[in-house]
Amino acid sequence: MGLMLSKVWTSLVGSKEIRVLILGLDNAGKTTILYKLHMGEVVTTVPTIGFNVETVQYKNLRFQVWDLGGQTSIRPYWRCYYQNTNAIIYVVDSADSERMGISKQELVTMLEEEELKDAALVVFANKQDLPNALKQEQIAEQLGLAGLKNRQWAIFKTSAIKGDGLYDGLDWLVNTLTGQS
Amino acid sequence: MFSLIAGLFEYLFKKAEFQVLILGVDHAGKTTALEQMKGLFQKIEPLAPEKIPPTVGLNIGRMEVGRVKLIFWDLGGQSGLRGIWEKYFAEVHGLVYVIDAADDQRFDESRRIFEALVKHPDLAGVPVLILANKQDLHSAATIDEIDERFGFGSLCAPSQQYRIEPVSAITGSGIADGITWMVDMLKLSSRGVTATQ
Repeated sequence: MGLMLSKVWTSLVGSKEIRVLILGLDNAGKTTILYKLHMGEVVTTVPTIGFNVETVQYKNLRFQVWDLGGQTSIRPYWRCYYQNTNAIIYVVDSADSERMGISKQELVTMLEEEELKDAALVVFANKQDLPNALKQEQIAEQLGLAGLKNRQWAIFKTSAIKGDGLYDGLDWLVNTLTGQS
Repeated sequence: MFSLIAGLFEYLFKKAEFQVLILGVDHAGKTTALEQMKGLFQKIEPLAPEKIPPTVGLNIGRMEVGRVKLIFWDLGGQSGLRGIWEKYFAEVHGLVYVIDAADDQRFDESRRIFEALVKHPDLAGVPVLILANKQDLHSAATIDEIDERFGFGSLCAPSQQYRIEPVSAITGSGIADGITWMVDMLKLSSRGVTATQ
């Protein structure tokens, strides 16, 4: 009942926070992206054990952005955060072609979750500043994005340390999430 | 008795569901056209054209036209993204092909792509709606001029249903006529129909 009232309240008053998860393998650049979006700065990060959460205000929308640790042993905990998620930012290290297969598996497993069936998916092909970075088409192919049919998706070339592409991705999220309502 | 009535009710009110791809070279106006369709049939305010960035992935539009449910898949048209298209062919019932009628320098490129699409075995027999877009621009070619450059009759198989529609995705003119034709063709189409309630 309280939940229903709060839903009615948010639908009437608006200004709902958009819940976004940043996921991906360890060392993909998730935390760097979070703080670049939050503060506009590149911070020195250590591997995340657990999570970081920050609010990002962009184009009159408030994003509540969760950055979850990506190491093998803590990936099973991602699912604890899936409920009520509006969008997923999936980050891949474009230069790590060896682990693209593992990244695909994690993505596929995640997208099968019932709680995420309505979440929009945006992939950041990160570390495009590195010389051996794969192109976005190659990554779309290798992650199996091509062929996803029940979910809107987009892929952007990003460089978290330079800040390139991050806001293109957020623009897409704004368009997609506001268009659906 | 009840189940009989329920069955009859279901028979009368179930809606056929069709998947339709929207393809074409980049900057043809595919997403803008999809937004217009959403505005016309879904009563959702279309995104302003200047706010639509190049598509790098998949946009989805779900709408009902008459008693038919349509699911549109709008895929990015940049050359590096076209390899993704064919992953969707096997499950589509119709194709909307968008041409920038004001960009005759890219007609040859667009024609080659169109030819590859209609000759692809997975797309055999699907009705094709060709949108000669950007008719709001003075420099836009007419549908006769475009047909002359493309030669749709010679590219399509004799049994292929196709139609060229002059449209403006910005003003919305022609879009409704084109989609109405597509719906009529889909109803007649021999491709399998997934019926839903």
